[in-house]
Amino acid sequence: MSTTHNTDRAAPSRRPRRAMTSKSSPGAGQSSSAQRRGGRTRFGFALPGGIFLGILSIYPIVLLVSMSVHEVSSGTLNKSWPAVGLENFAALWSGSDLGNATINTIVFVAVVTAIGVVGGLGVAIVVRSSAIGSAFLLGMMVFIWALPPVVNGSIWKFLLADQGLINTIVRSSGLGEGVPFLYDSRFALLSVALVNAWAVIPFNALVFRSALLAIDPSILEAASMDGASRLQEIRLILIPSARATAVVLAILTVVYAFRSFDFIYVMTSGGPGSSTTTLPFLSYSQAFVQHDYGIGSATGVLSLLIVALLAIVYVRSTRKEEAA
Amino acid sequence: MTSTATSAISAARPIRSRRSTVRREPIAVTIRALLYVIYGLPLLWIVLTSLKQQGDVLGGGGLLFSPTLNAYRDALANPQLPTALLQSGQIALGTTVLVLVLATPFAYALARVNGWIAGLALGVLIFLQMVPQTANIIPLFALFSKAHLLDSTVSLVLANSAMLLPWATLLLRPFFAAVPDAIEEAAAIDGAGRLRAFVAVVLPVVRNGVATVGSLIFLVAWGEFIYAINLFLSPENYPMSALIAQQTSGYGIDWPALMAFAVISSLPLLVVYVLSFRLLREGLAVGSVK
Repeated sequence: MSTTHNTDRAAPSRRPRRAMTSKSSPGAGQSSSAQRRGGRTRFGFALPGGIFLGILSIYPIVLLVSMSVHEVSSGTLNKSWPAVGLENFAALWSGSDLGNATINTIVFVAVVTAIGVVGGLGVAIVVRSSAIGSAFLLGMMVFIWALPPVVNGSIWKFLLADQGLINTIVRSSGLGEGVPFLYDSRFALLSVALVNAWAVIPFNALVFRSALLAIDPSILEAASMDGASRLQEIRLILIPSARATAVVLAILTVVYAFRSFDFIYVMTSGGPGSSTTTLPFLSYSQAFVQHDYGIGSATGVLSLLIVALLAIVYVRSTRKEEAA
Repeated sequence: MTSTATSAISAARPIRSRRSTVRREPIAVTIRALLYVIYGLPLLWIVLTSLKQQGDVLGGGGLLFSPTLNAYRDALANPQLPTALLQSGQIALGTTVLVLVLATPFAYALARVNGWIAGLALGVLIFLQMVPQTANIIPLFALFSKAHLLDSTVSLVLANSAMLLPWATLLLRPFFAAVPDAIEEAAAIDGAGRLRAFVAVVLPVVRNGVATVGSLIFLVAWGEFIYAINLFLSPENYPMSALIAQQTSGYGIDWPALMAFAVISSLPLLVVYVLSFRLLREGLAVGSVK
């Protein structure tokens, strides 16, 4: 009831006339709702999805927070959980896993975002024309983005293996003895991050491309008549027009990289050692490998705090873009 | 791969030369050729490996090998394959239908209602869309365990839908926002109720958006495997993605068999993708940034 009433209060900015007729009594409009055009009846359309998310998305988050302050193991999962206060968080704080995973996450997110955004813009610039060679390339790249991460992860695990294609090329060209891309803690994190960037570039290129296509063609024509070089055109026209999109995409890519789990699971399972264990991966392995759901939830709650921060930054920057 | 690239580029030339502003771009052509290698080669390697014998796979075996369909013969004889394909199909279709049924009215409401409550709802959807799957799977596992839903296809459809509904709603909203109010006013004058006006008048206008988002949900739900490997307790119930994940994370991987599975599980995606590419190319960009 309170939601329907609030909707009416929210309506005036859009339709002052109708909001006034319904302001006095929240229940009165029900009988004639089919003819009325207030925000209230339309808000009813959000209810099925809202209720669904309430049960299967928001309640689970509440449950996650609750699990983080209880001791939950495989044995007690279906029973009542003993409360332990902040013990799970204290255990995380005093252990070395959390710090290690945090550093891995920062490196991973930085590499994926930098390469993903710059690479996406670069690809968008070279494939923005609708010529067949460009259109087919973009089509193929976006298909790869749409393929299951297990498939993309598997093929790169195969290509980067000791006897895989990349190392075969390295050896036969006399560059060295081969690189243990996924089996050495110095290279593993960077390798998985590069593959993740590879997988996200097509999507970023697609979004950048539509920003570039929105540029008024007469501006480009004028630049070309004034004798601007290709490089000048890119630096002075294309990149500035993609700036607003770049900000939003950078945040989306940070989120994508932060959430990344599939590629790490398939390619390295967090190893060797814990060199590719990021925060979400740590949370998963604590819960489903060590079967300590309480500690896993505590790590999950910390991840959610970071996500909430990112969501706020994202909302602010999209508002700014819409206002501009 | 390179030959495809050059032929595609030379085929494109007559079209390009008609445009007055086009100049020769050796750098762009080089970068495009490089991209064909970086993205085409892994794709090609999946197919080539699936046509090899396990013995030909490692140790530098490249393009020179005698192709065999052994891996496919074994895959098709594997009793797990039909079950896994059926599971993937049920999960992907079930998720697509459920998400679209919930997301279209949701997005419509958010496109039409203003004010703080709609703003709050948008903020919550953006947050939910960003939540790592690993933070969802822990409480969902406990929830489904208590509800005795573990090891069921229903639990997968529910979990996937909960994960994808915020994204689908955010992607669909701009499509509804672009529908002029006047269309609905006309329907209202004709005496159509809100629900009827939505189904008969608004939905047909946004069918492209619904098709775009529907294809995306299908693609993602087909490939999802984290929920699958944890919510299915018995591997006999695994969908394709989970089977591949299970094989690839082990030791002593049978690469031709794995790649044959990868090719078989990618074929339905190729069909959906080819049918929807034009829509995806426009629709993704609109819904992601706005």
